[in-house]
Amino acid sequence: MSVPRPLRTTLTALAVLALIAFAWNGSQVDFARLVNSLSKGWPLLQDFLTPDVLGREIQPVTLQLAVPVPCGSAAEAPPAASGPRLVPSVPCAAPRDKFTVEGFDLAPNTELQLRWRLPSGQYFPGPFITTDADGYFKAEFEARPIVATKDGVPGQIEVELQVEVGNLRPSPTLHIVLDNVVVTIFMALMATVAAVVVAAPLSFLAAQNVMKRGPVGTAIYYLTRTFFNVFRSYEAIVLATVFAFWVGFGPFAGVLALTIVTIASLGKLYSEAVEGIDPGPVEALTATGANRLQVVLFAIVPQIVPNFLSFTIYHWDINVRISTIIGYVGGGGIGYYLAQMINTSQNSKAGTAIWAIVIVVWVMDFLSAEVRKRYT
Amino acid sequence: MLEVRNLHKVYPNGTVALTDVSFRVDDGEFLVVIGLSGSGKSTLLRCLNRLIEPSQGQILWDGVDVTAASGAELRRIRRHIGMVFQQFNLVKRSSVLTNVLAGRLGFANPWLSLLGVWPPSDRAMALRALERVGIRDKAEARADALSGGQQQRVGIARALMQEPKLILADEPVASLDPVLSHSILQYLEQLNKEEKITVICSLHFLDLVHRYATRVIALKDGKVVFTGLPQEIDKARFKAIYGEDAVEVRAGMTA
Repeated sequence: MSVPRPLRTTLTALAVLALIAFAWNGSQVDFARLVNSLSKGWPLLQDFLTPDVLGREIQPVTLQLAVPVPCGSAAEAPPAASGPRLVPSVPCAAPRDKFTVEGFDLAPNTELQLRWRLPSGQYFPGPFITTDADGYFKAEFEARPIVATKDGVPGQIEVELQVEVGNLRPSPTLHIVLDNVVVTIFMALMATVAAVVVAAPLSFLAAQNVMKRGPVGTAIYYLTRTFFNVFRSYEAIVLATVFAFWVGFGPFAGVLALTIVTIASLGKLYSEAVEGIDPGPVEALTATGANRLQVVLFAIVPQIVPNFLSFTIYHWDINVRISTIIGYVGGGGIGYYLAQMINTSQNSKAGTAIWAIVIVVWVMDFLSAEVRKRYT
Repeated sequence: MLEVRNLHKVYPNGTVALTDVSFRVDDGEFLVVIGLSGSGKSTLLRCLNRLIEPSQGQILWDGVDVTAASGAELRRIRRHIGMVFQQFNLVKRSSVLTNVLAGRLGFANPWLSLLGVWPPSDRAMALRALERVGIRDKAEARADALSGGQQQRVGIARALMQEPKLILADEPVASLDPVLSHSILQYLEQLNKEEKITVICSLHFLDLVHRYATRVIALKDGKVVFTGLPQEIDKARFKAIYGEDAVEVRAGMTA
């Protein structure tokens, strides 16, 4: 049965449209939500864009305020006029009196715990408070009998602050991120080197022009090729999950996963390079009475060195990228750190990791392009 | 003496390249194989050292059955047969010296050669071979830095490393300027006359055939259509070999 061409075209177009409609539904596309929920995504994006890179040294400082209970049992302390300070609504209190304490010029938007320091030197916990954008808070207190003055020493209301002092310098986060970036680059390097050692010899076994001579060679050829194709279809992230359970979470699991994927991928690229050589020299050296291994070494290897180098460097570059991803599932390095920071909502630190990944990928990209340019 | 008996070659795709080819080559001959492109010249030359596996027939060289040899024995036979190619077949990224030394691989210690270690005697021999073809000063250059004519001379030097008794030359000058053809063929002629190396060479241009061949065989559609002396190729025979429409073209510059 033959369908007229215009009808066939129309039917095909309709089928494609239907397919797209199903796909639209299946993937739950909802542009309205994308716009309406901007307020949820925006702060996260802002945190990511303002990474924690520089910081000042943090020193703990304790603010104290003596509140004699009952009044006259000890000297009253006049509140400070400026700087981070605590100001009570009453200078002293009778037992069971209620009063308020205000805090000024503290770190903004910070959660703090107030406490009583008893005359005996022990602590009695007070309320948790959160400062507003100006670093201000107001909290209710009750003068319980336990805080009463003893031997002329009054109870004191205290709050411990983290105060930034000194010059700007790389933040601790930056140090951790840089350490992890180095781990990631090393993971990629280890995986690439290990993969080259395995893939380079194997690639000859997966090259038609070397192996497709006789039944044994052909069998090995198909076997090696199948091995490459099967392992190329496993995502590194899946293998990394397996190895993370096998050898424990950390860079080693990542290296193992990356190595296997890289062997398959490089093996395929290499074998295609071997298949793309000029067959002339192979013919010429075979004619001189050289054996198979000599022919490979003298006629094929010199021809594939530039491609091998270029593929290898290119793959190291790719592996840096993949290893950030497999870090996410427990493969160690910067990806693992990023996952931890995102899971604990430390978004500025996550931002630092994200920027570090971006910069490393840029740099690797540039360097690998430069090196490849030089060798090919 | 080389004797080819009833050689047939059918490629796996069904192409019949050679049909019942028989001829003899005495030691010291300069045998030229002529014929149109696709007439089976390249296949014939490659069957002689089994770069291409003949489908049927026998090749006897000094009484040894080349067609029956396998593995190590075939390599021992091949190392006494030099070969020169139309496209030179050099490893372009390797140095000229390495390309020439590669001609010695059949004789070299297999393990040392894989490490790239060559005895000083082989190196000296390679330099002498380059000297002989007039490009000793290019020994360290990369092969692809040389001109076509120079590359073919490297190809001849590589063949010389085998101290061959027989040289197979497959269209050795077809990729070169006609001007350079004589310079290359003269090297082959010199080896033929001075070293008594038998040469079997396929050529396109009839004037080159007249100048260098001691004997000629002509192939047409994989069959031998003429065997004899070059001067016996007259107008009628020329048409028989190359077809009715053919016109003779000269390489020019007879040396």
